[in-house]
Amino acid sequence: MIMKKLKVTTAIVAVALSGTMALSDGYGPFPVTLKGYSGDKTNTVSYSGQIARHVLEQSLKKLAGKGNGGGNAADLEAQMLSYFNGSDDDLPIIAPKSKDGFKIKQTSLHQISKGKNISGKFYDGAMPAWPGNMSGKDVAYNMIAMAAKSNKGFDADTGYDWAQLISKYTMGAMAYNQAVDNYLDEKLSAEKKPNNKPYKDGAHYTGKEHSWDEAFGYWGAAAHQHGFNPNKVYEIAKMKNQGVADKNGDGMVDLKSEYVFGPCYYAAAFDRSGTKSTNYTNTMFDAFLDGRKLITAAAGDALSDSERSQLKAYAATIEENWEKVLAEAVFKYAGSVYKDINKMKELSGDDLNKAYRAYAKHWGELKGFAMAMQSGKSNLGATATKMNELMGFGPVTLNNSYVTGMDSNGNFVMDRKKSWSDYQLHMLKIQQMMVDQFSVKARVNDGLNDLQALTDKLDSASSAETD
Amino acid sequence: MDDINLIEFFLSDFINPKKRVFTGYLILSVVLASLWLLFVKRQSLQSTFKKIFDRKILWSGSAKADYKLFLLNRVFTFFISPLLISQVAISTAIYMFLHSVDGFNQNFFASTPTSIIIALFTITLFVVDDFTKYVVHRWMHKIPLLWAIHKVHHSAKTMTPITVYRVHPLEGVLFSLRSVFAQGLVIPSFLFFFGNAVDLYTIVGVNILVFFFHATGSNLRHSHIDIAYWKWLEHILISPSQHQVHHSIAEEHYDKNFGAALAIWDWVFGSLHLSENKGTVFFGLDTYESGKESRIKDLYLEPIYEIAKILKTFCIKLVSRLLNWLSLIRDLFLVQINKKNHNDFNK
Repeated sequence: MIMKKLKVTTAIVAVALSGTMALSDGYGPFPVTLKGYSGDKTNTVSYSGQIARHVLEQSLKKLAGKGNGGGNAADLEAQMLSYFNGSDDDLPIIAPKSKDGFKIKQTSLHQISKGKNISGKFYDGAMPAWPGNMSGKDVAYNMIAMAAKSNKGFDADTGYDWAQLISKYTMGAMAYNQAVDNYLDEKLSAEKKPNNKPYKDGAHYTGKEHSWDEAFGYWGAAAHQHGFNPNKVYEIAKMKNQGVADKNGDGMVDLKSEYVFGPCYYAAAFDRSGTKSTNYTNTMFDAFLDGRKLITAAAGDALSDSERSQLKAYAATIEENWEKVLAEAVFKYAGSVYKDINKMKELSGDDLNKAYRAYAKHWGELKGFAMAMQSGKSNLGATATKMNELMGFGPVTLNNSYVTGMDSNGNFVMDRKKSWSDYQLHMLKIQQMMVDQFSVKARVNDGLNDLQALTDKLDSASSAETD
Repeated sequence: MDDINLIEFFLSDFINPKKRVFTGYLILSVVLASLWLLFVKRQSLQSTFKKIFDRKILWSGSAKADYKLFLLNRVFTFFISPLLISQVAISTAIYMFLHSVDGFNQNFFASTPTSIIIALFTITLFVVDDFTKYVVHRWMHKIPLLWAIHKVHHSAKTMTPITVYRVHPLEGVLFSLRSVFAQGLVIPSFLFFFGNAVDLYTIVGVNILVFFFHATGSNLRHSHIDIAYWKWLEHILISPSQHQVHHSIAEEHYDKNFGAALAIWDWVFGSLHLSENKGTVFFGLDTYESGKESRIKDLYLEPIYEIAKILKTFCIKLVSRLLNWLSLIRDLFLVQINKKNHNDFNK
C-alpha cells in the first residue's frame, strides 16, 4: 500500500516537474560557451537591437496616420525619418505603449538599444510591385513622404492606406529579409561568423550564437512562449493578457523578451483562425530553440559540417514557415478585399465611404504583405510577376480607376479603369495562387470555401450510378 | 488494410443513403414489390415471396457476373477516381468565369428568401443532374464507340438491384465526369447569383428529391417486378416497368426510355415508351453469344476489342480518303502541267 502511494506521489511530482520544465524551456538563457572568455556575463542570448527595430516599425506605423492633409507634412516626414533612419537622440516609443491592464516596461528607444535604425537593415533590391521602378528602400522613402502629406494616413483618390503599407512591407523588407536572407543564410556558412570566435571583438557570445539570436529577434516571439496555445501568443501581441506576457512577474511587460511582435503575431493569428489546421508558431519556435541548443552544445567549437547541415535544416523550416505565414496573409487579405467589394456594391453615401475606408485598409495590408513576400531570399519569379499583375499598383477605387504607374514628377498615374467584379476575380485568382504555390492551409476569408463546402456535401460520386 | 476495412471498402454503399443500394432503400423496395404483387397483381403471399426472392434470378449466371463486377469495379474506381478532374476545380473555374462576364451581377438574387433559394437549388440540381444523365445515356446508345461500352450493362439477362453496378469501368468514368460537370456548373452559378445562403434540402444527408427517387423503388428498375404507373405519370416519371422496357430484347423497345428519374426528356425528344401489359419482357442483347453475359473476362475485354475495331475501321477509312484526295490533287496538278506544255507547244 505504502509502495503504491509512493508510486502515485512520484508520478504526480514527475508530471508536475516535467510540466514546469516544459514551461520554463524558453528561448534562453543560454550559458557562455566562448572559449577563453573571462568576463562575468552568464547569458549569451541577445537580440535587443531587433526588438528596437520592431518598436521603430510600430512607432512609424502610428506616425503614418498623423498627417493633417499637408499642413504638417514637412515636420511629420522628418519625424518619421528619424524613426526610419534612426537618431542619435533618444526617441520616445510611440507604439506599443502601456494601456490599462497592460503595463510596458520601456517608454523610450534607448531603454532597449541605442543607435538602431530600420533603413540600415532594409531590403534594397528591385521592387517591381510598386510603381516607379524604385529599389526596395526608395519605395519605403516614397511611402513615408506620401504618408506625411496625407490626411490621417489615407489617400482616398488612390486608395492607399500608408500606415498599413509601410508597416506590412517593413515586416518583410526588414525582419523577414534580415532573418532569412542574412542571419539564417550567409551567416550560417563555415567562413562567416564561426562558432569558435566571438561575434565581434569583445563580445561574450560566439559568431553562430549571436547570428541565430538575431534571426530569432527579427521573428519577434516572446522568449517564454514555448508550447503556448496560439491564442495566448495572440493575446500578448494584442496587449490583452499581461498575466501571460509578464514572465518574471515584475508587473510590467518587458519588450526585450516578454512581448510578441508582428511576424510572430501573424503566425499565431493564422494558427488560431481559418481552418485551424496549422502550427506555424510552435513549429518555428521549436526550430529556433533546437537550433540554438545545437549551437550551445557545440561548446564554443567551430560547427562541424554535419552540425551546420542540421542547423541549416532548422533554418529551412523557419524560412519555409515564415514564407507560408506571409502567403496566408496575402490569402486572407485578398479574401477581405473580395468581401469588402461585395459590401460596397450594396452601399452608397457615407456608408459607402466608410466601407471604402475599410477596403483600403485591407488592400494596404494585402499589398504590404505581397511586397514583404518579395523581399525575402528566394526570387518568386513568375509567381511574383503574376501576383503583382493581378493585384495592380493600387486598389480599384470608387470611380473604378486605379494606379497604373508613376510619372516623372513622382505623381501616381491613374489612367485605366477596371470593374469591381473583375477585380474580385483577381482576388480569387490570388487566393488560388497562394494555395497552388505556397500550400496555405489556414485559408482565412476563403472566397472559394462555399464551393468546397457544397461540393463536399453533395459528394459527386453518389451520382455516378448509371442506368 | 485489415479485414474490417476491407469489408467496409467493398460494402460501404449498402450503408450509405446517398447510394441506391442502401439497405433502407432495398427494404423499402421489397415492401413496395410485395404490395404491388399482393394487391395489384392479386398474387398469393407465397408466390409473391417466390417472385421477389426468385433463386433462378438472384443466382443466375448473369446475376453472379453482376456481383463480381460490383466487387471488381470497386477496385477500378479506387484507382481511377483520383485521376479524374475534381469537381472543385471545375466549380472554381466556372465561378471565376462568372466574375469576368460583363453584366453578370454577383449576389443579384441574394435577397430572395432563403427557403426559396434552397428549394430552387435543390430542384435545379436534381433536374440538371437528371437531364445530363438522359443525354449521356442517349449517347451511350447512339454512338457506336460508346455503345460498345454500354453493351456490358445491357447484356444482363436477369436483373437485380446490383445490376446498376454492371458497367464497364470506362462507363463508370464517363458517368462520374458527367456528374462532376453537372454539379460543377450548378453549384458555382447558384453561389454567384444567390450568395452563400445556397444550400440543399436533405433527408438523411441526401438531396430530398434523390431520396424520394430511391425510397419509392428506384431499385426495382433493375428487377423483374414490373411496377407500372398511370399513363399520365409515366410521361413525367419513369416507372420500373418502363426501365425494364429499356432493357428489353424486343426490337420495338430499342432506344427507348433513356431517362433516369424523369420521363419528360424522353417525352420531349421522342424516345418515350409507356409500359405495356403484354406479359414477360426478356432482357439482354440478341447479338450476344449465349453465356458471354456471365464471363467476366469477356465483359471487361470485349468492349476494348470492339473500340479498337471501330477505331481501326475509322483510321482505314480516313487514310483511304486522304490517299484519294492526294491522288486527286496529283491528277489536277498533272492536268495543269499538261495544259501548260500543250500551250507552250502551240506557241
